[in-house]
Amino acid sequence: MKTAQISRRSFIKELGFLGALLFLPLNYRDAVIRPPGAGKDFLSRCIRCGQCIEACPYDSIMALDITAGALAHTPYINPLKTPCYLCQQRGPDGKDRPISKYLRCGEACPTGAIRKILNNKEVLAKVPEEMKMGVSVLNRDICLAWKYDSCGECYYNCPLKDKALRDRPPGELLEDITGIRPYVDQRYCIGCGMCNYVCPVKRHIAKSYMDRTIKLTYFEERYAAMVRNLIGAAGESVKLPAIRVVLRP
Amino acid sequence: MKETKSEHKAHSLKIRYPRRLIQLSVLSILIWIPLVTMNPHDWSPSRIVLGHLPPPTVREISGDTWSFTFYGFRLTHPVAFFEEVLAAKVVYIPFAVSVIIPLMVTLLLGRVFCSWLCPVGFLLELNQKLNATLKKFGLHYELKLKDFRYIILTLSLLFSLLFAVPIISAFDPPHVFGRELIYIFTHKAISLSGVGLLAAIFLFESLSTSRAWCNYFCPSGGALSLLGAKRAWRIRMEKDRCIYCEKCDRACPYYLEPMRLATGGDFNWTKCDNCGLCRDACPTGAITFRFGRRL
Repeated sequence: MKTAQISRRSFIKELGFLGALLFLPLNYRDAVIRPPGAGKDFLSRCIRCGQCIEACPYDSIMALDITAGALAHTPYINPLKTPCYLCQQRGPDGKDRPISKYLRCGEACPTGAIRKILNNKEVLAKVPEEMKMGVSVLNRDICLAWKYDSCGECYYNCPLKDKALRDRPPGELLEDITGIRPYVDQRYCIGCGMCNYVCPVKRHIAKSYMDRTIKLTYFEERYAAMVRNLIGAAGESVKLPAIRVVLRP
Repeated sequence: MKETKSEHKAHSLKIRYPRRLIQLSVLSILIWIPLVTMNPHDWSPSRIVLGHLPPPTVREISGDTWSFTFYGFRLTHPVAFFEEVLAAKVVYIPFAVSVIIPLMVTLLLGRVFCSWLCPVGFLLELNQKLNATLKKFGLHYELKLKDFRYIILTLSLLFSLLFAVPIISAFDPPHVFGRELIYIFTHKAISLSGVGLLAAIFLFESLSTSRAWCNYFCPSGGALSLLGAKRAWRIRMEKDRCIYCEKCDRACPYYLEPMRLATGGDFNWTKCDNCGLCRDACPTGAITFRFGRRL
């Protein structure tokens, strides 16, 4: 009788343990940038069909390889290679036009792992935080615009210009400036990685000045020299480029 | 004996013809989809920033045998659906709607996906001839294998249930095949795991037991077997016509020995995938396809 009770109790304990296991990994998120609209339950809902990769109009979405283990073939975005263009097409007049009604990856996803997001800049700026790809972080110490007043690529190329990226910080008093002092508004930044992609503070741009393998124009040489100075002053351990996309906490 | 032969002839319309046609069209659709949805590659995305891009290709056709989209109409492999529900613990309604047609087809007609649609199954069927040729030259190493399909299926379903990560897609060769085509056309790349699996299967089946993957390893095929076990469309043996020539036994790719239906032995209905090779091989037309209960 006693032994039966003990075994029953241990059985119930084991059941509880299993039940806890069932719901534990649902909030697990790994350290790569997922397509826009991927929520917290993305990994459990993705069946790796590859339709988002096929649907992406700029081939930004790639698949993880076998080194990711059980997560192989799930989609991710490497903003240094190809950023997410948020399904926009910039015309000759400099205005962005949506190329589809919804973001294509969310439209193609059969399981709802990537949510459908309306392709409208007002909507894109106000996507719930857990569905955003990440958030941009600006390092003012190595930013060309903040140090030398000679850049602004991230501001001009941001798909959510004047919302996610502003030309100067709102609260701070900056007098006598004419150029751009980029400032990331974390409430609106969707983490597409365009700023990460266009930022010139990268090692290969600094190196092109040193090697002299490529013929550079006068302005390009000056540009590369400034980048080299910034990276050199910051040290080897600094993370490049100056504006990067990181996952939201 | 002569009378029976003149009375009963083999089926003139082989079921192999429509089956080959469907298999070929599935294979060509799988190649056609990434070809037409491919984005222009004469520009390099790594060099051009927003503002200088050519108009991208937007067509709402995508997918393969695992999950397929055609302008809002979706189809999903039943195994993908069950696995996703086990992992996510929620049912997404559009996803559930997309699985209805494939699920009904499997319940009614059995594991016809494997014999009528699967592109890798088609290529493996063609590979049987290479296997036979290599056998003539002595390049054949017969291995004794057991049916591991249900073990692999159970383990991977348990994995997706416990760790909330669906993984069967990695062991589903038709999907691996379609996905490799997507990678080739979109990124001009192949994945090591996918090509490795396909190459291993083809190498093994050329040199050893033919149709070994479909017979002993395929987890999604195993799941479709279980779903189609109580199907309505089956082969049917007319015992008075059977002349016990054993041609159907030799034709069956799964070594199920359909002649047992005439001799009264045990037939593995679960594994049969309605390919119709025994029906085509029968010289007297004793094996037919019928709707209805089993005999």
